Amino acid sequence: MTDLMPPKNPQWWKRSDVKKTFILWIICTAVIGYVGVEFHVRNLVDPASETMSSIISLMRMFTWAAAPVAGLVTAMSLTVLTSKRHYGDNPPAEADHEIRNSPKAAAVWIVISGLLCLFALIGGLVVLEQENEGVLNTQAIQVDVTGQQWLWNFDYANGARSEDLYLPVNKPVVFHITSVDVKHSFWVVQMGIKMDANPGYTTETAVTPNKIGVFDVRCAELCGLLHAYMQTKVHIVSQADYDAWLSAHAAMEAGA
Amino acid sequence: MSVETHAHHEHPDVVGSRNRLGVILLLVADIAFALSMVFVYFYLRGQNVNDMWLPAATADHPAIEPLSAGPGWTVTAIAAFGLLAHMYGLKGARAHNQTQLKLGSLVAFVASVIAIGYQYNTISSAPFTFSDGAYVSCFYMFAFLNMVHLLLTLFISFGNWNRARLGLYVENFWHVDIVRIWWIWMVVSSLLGAFSLSYP
Amino acid sequence: MTTLTQHTSAAPGKSIIEKLNVFTALALGVISAIVVWRLSLALLPQDSEEVRLFSREDKITLLSMCAWFIGFMTGIGALVGPMRWVMGKDLSHDENMFLAGENMGPKRYLRYTTDHKVVGIQYLFITILIFFLGGGLAMLIRTNLGTPEGGWLHAQAYNSIVGTHGILMIVGTIIMVTGPFGNFIMPIMIGARDMAFPRLNALSFWLIVAAAVPLIWGQFIGGITTGWSAYNPLAGQAPLGMDGYIMYICIFAISTMVAGANITTTVVKMRAKGMTWNRTPIFIYGVVASVALALPAFPVFFLSQILSAFDRALDTSFYNTAGGGSGWLYENLFWIMGHPEVYVILIPAVAALMEMAPVFTRRPLFSFNIAVLGIAGISGLSVLVWAHHMYISGWAPLLNAPFMLTTELISIPTGMLFLVLIGTLWRGRIWMTMPLMSIFALLWNFMIGGVTGIYLSDVPADAFLHGSMYVTAHFHYTLMGAGLTGALAALVYWFPKMTGRMFDKTLSWIAFWMVQIGFNVAFVGMFMVGLAGQPRRVESYAPTFSTANLVTTIGAYTIMIGMLVLLHGVITSARNGVKAPKNPWQAKTLEWTVDYPIPLENFDVLPVVTTDPYGYGKAKS
Repeated sequence: MTDLMPPKNPQWWKRSDVKKTFILWIICTAVIGYVGVEFHVRNLVDPASETMSSIISLMRMFTWAAAPVAGLVTAMSLTVLTSKRHYGDNPPAEADHEIRNSPKAAAVWIVISGLLCLFALIGGLVVLEQENEGVLNTQAIQVDVTGQQWLWNFDYANGARSEDLYLPVNKPVVFHITSVDVKHSFWVVQMGIKMDANPGYTTETAVTPNKIGVFDVRCAELCGLLHAYMQTKVHIVSQADYDAWLSAHAAMEAGA
Repeated sequence: MSVETHAHHEHPDVVGSRNRLGVILLLVADIAFALSMVFVYFYLRGQNVNDMWLPAATADHPAIEPLSAGPGWTVTAIAAFGLLAHMYGLKGARAHNQTQLKLGSLVAFVASVIAIGYQYNTISSAPFTFSDGAYVSCFYMFAFLNMVHLLLTLFISFGNWNRARLGLYVENFWHVDIVRIWWIWMVVSSLLGAFSLSYP
Repeated sequence: MTTLTQHTSAAPGKSIIEKLNVFTALALGVISAIVVWRLSLALLPQDSEEVRLFSREDKITLLSMCAWFIGFMTGIGALVGPMRWVMGKDLSHDENMFLAGENMGPKRYLRYTTDHKVVGIQYLFITILIFFLGGGLAMLIRTNLGTPEGGWLHAQAYNSIVGTHGILMIVGTIIMVTGPFGNFIMPIMIGARDMAFPRLNALSFWLIVAAAVPLIWGQFIGGITTGWSAYNPLAGQAPLGMDGYIMYICIFAISTMVAGANITTTVVKMRAKGMTWNRTPIFIYGVVASVALALPAFPVFFLSQILSAFDRALDTSFYNTAGGGSGWLYENLFWIMGHPEVYVILIPAVAALMEMAPVFTRRPLFSFNIAVLGIAGISGLSVLVWAHHMYISGWAPLLNAPFMLTTELISIPTGMLFLVLIGTLWRGRIWMTMPLMSIFALLWNFMIGGVTGIYLSDVPADAFLHGSMYVTAHFHYTLMGAGLTGALAALVYWFPKMTGRMFDKTLSWIAFWMVQIGFNVAFVGMFMVGLAGQPRRVESYAPTFSTANLVTTIGAYTIMIGMLVLLHGVITSARNGVKAPKNPWQAKTLEWTVDYPIPLENFDVLPVVTTDPYGYGKAKS
């Protein structure tokens, strides 16, 4: 009663439905993995930092790791659905077996899901560790970020203050984030960092932009009436442009 | 404990054990409620946001520490006395001594009245207002928890005494047994508050 | 069983129990609210200049809402039982039979009726109503988001609609299986005459009705502009409508606790003779896990809202940072409830499909033990994962890794549920019905919800995805794609037992395909804008997101049409559908052994169970 296979056919892998499922499994895994990865990569923003690039490769990796499991569920479903279907108001004949469980199948299933779990955990921890180290970098540019309803203020070490963010390319930067009213969330979209701005607290996050251009800062936590409009730009410029901008702004603040 | 099924032909012990489980499950919810209050207290105490855990001393109330935990412990003591009285009554019911049951239930009821009076006095005479910082907020939180529990205790212990008085507990007294569970939780929940407030 | 009316005591005139119904409840509730409102308006002192938040209006609003609540519950008769207990005049058998709605006709649906079958139908009605309202609000949201500039709705109205949609749907999905089917079907399925505490059963239903009014009331006094999570301190500065949310949650939490204690006791103590734990249907496990999980979880939510009310009305400092409070405290309290709650929604829906799987494949359930283990594992782990909602809040960066571990561990018991379902389908005889196809739909949707959940459980990836539309799409895949799919299948499956008529087959198919296709179109579009960087809960967005948003809106309209077809199916089938035989699906659980209409106490002779209900397969026939 506890065997996966009925006694008359001990070689379960020779059953036609198993063969069909196996072929479908390979096809489904390939399709799901490919479509899943492409779906994510094509829709995701273009990365403007190493952090974002590693997030994208994590998602690529996770998708391929999940594809065989998802592929198996899909393949088995398709096999079942394409087998003889019964329509009508009365039930079909009973199944030709009374399999109630299969310890082997269950064990394999649980071990594999455990391993995938471990894989996802390790993948995440490695990237997480790199990010945590960034915050401790004292050589980095330090920027104070203050959220308020419904705009962002950026304060630089030399006294410059701005509602747009200017940063030099390829220089690590640490953000010290807080809020003066309610909770906001500081999201530099293309750089893959996000940290809540909490009233009463200062939180930190770090990134190294690696592309010159203009990118988006959005608020990712509902913060009241104009939450949707609480966004600004981050300008990643060359070191020379950055220095010029910074001293001009510091002078402006001093003069004001 | 006030609930019976309309399948009246069931044995009282069956109904009693069912009610007992139901009350314990409801208490699980209440225990989660009280424990999350303890979490609130120690979380805010640990955070001390803006250095506003304890209110700054003023001319009206130089320091609040002396007042903090005392009333909580006193209410706990009164509730414990109520519990003991109730258990005395329950013992009487077990020994088929209805007089002892009535006496114990009455004393327990009186204890709940005294505790309510005392708790009310604590709240109304507290030397600070609601907006005096996080500790004070938590003080009121525990005081209100006690107050709500005590009002329920008042209701339950009055009913228990009244039913004992009417002689409803001669044949079976599982109600009295379940009321005891409530009394125990009344004491423990009050203790949780008093314990927390002892660490301002 | 039902011949006991001859003992009716000759009471002159109508007793108080007979007079109370929903109309006296409404009247008493409204009158109490108005009286307390006028009184507090006249008597409460003005706010002093020193307070941080002006609180007098909040006090008045909350007091009036409390008065409504107490008035309504008194008027419906919730206090009769406790008062009679205190007075020492326990309800007589005849009074209890009256409360159960014996020989009362349709009027019993409008009273504090204790019969579990009446409560089940009442729950079904209110669940449909909630989905109707919540779905309508979803359509407003999607219509507003059909074009990038929004603007069709005012920002305040939009935020309020988002919040109300969220909380209505959360409540609706929490009760959608355990309410109608947990009450109507579960006691019969375990061979009991009623629930353990019939009056608490009526209480849990009428509390939901009482809770609805403050929520609707709140819409007219500023709305719920904070999203369903009502984060503080935003909720502290939100309009008076927030008080409606607070009352709604508090009353609903009481209802959930009462129902949890009641259902758990019923299952533990009242199963039929011979129904050992390994002969208990898996649906029962799902229902019990759901309500038992809610027991410790909802009080925390309850507390979080009471403290929110304190902050608003009394100017205390639980969440108000100026006075030493902390927004992170709120987030912790909220998510300690919030994550178990998603499994409260999901588990009974999956368990219902597990119950149907053997019926529609004519083979035994695959791995009953693994199914129980999976349900237990999810329940146990779900209380340890709440902080994955707070990875980027900064409250405790060091705890991110441990919470990532617990969150990813939960995929193991979740995988077990997949194994059971797919294992049961495997080598079954496929009986093509809407409930059977729902199993495939659940596998597909839950697979997408689960895999996207792995990205979200990963701290670095979450730093990008958190707070974006990707999250919204993810949890709709789990709660709607998996949860609601199971509930709709349960509706079609148990419809014959609840109404005596079959659910119209054609309509069930049309609704199924429209909802499932519309759903996948809508939320794939939402995944796309999330990946492209669109935050949640925005009333307008950058033009780059417009195509995918339009796709989502089109998908949403398709779901709406499918749902309306389903509603039409419910109404027409209940009225003049084909009369159902006693056991139309040839299932083996006990609810199919009773005739329609089901007698008041279900069974004349209580059944004795000798096997589990999954004895399908050739050897048994």
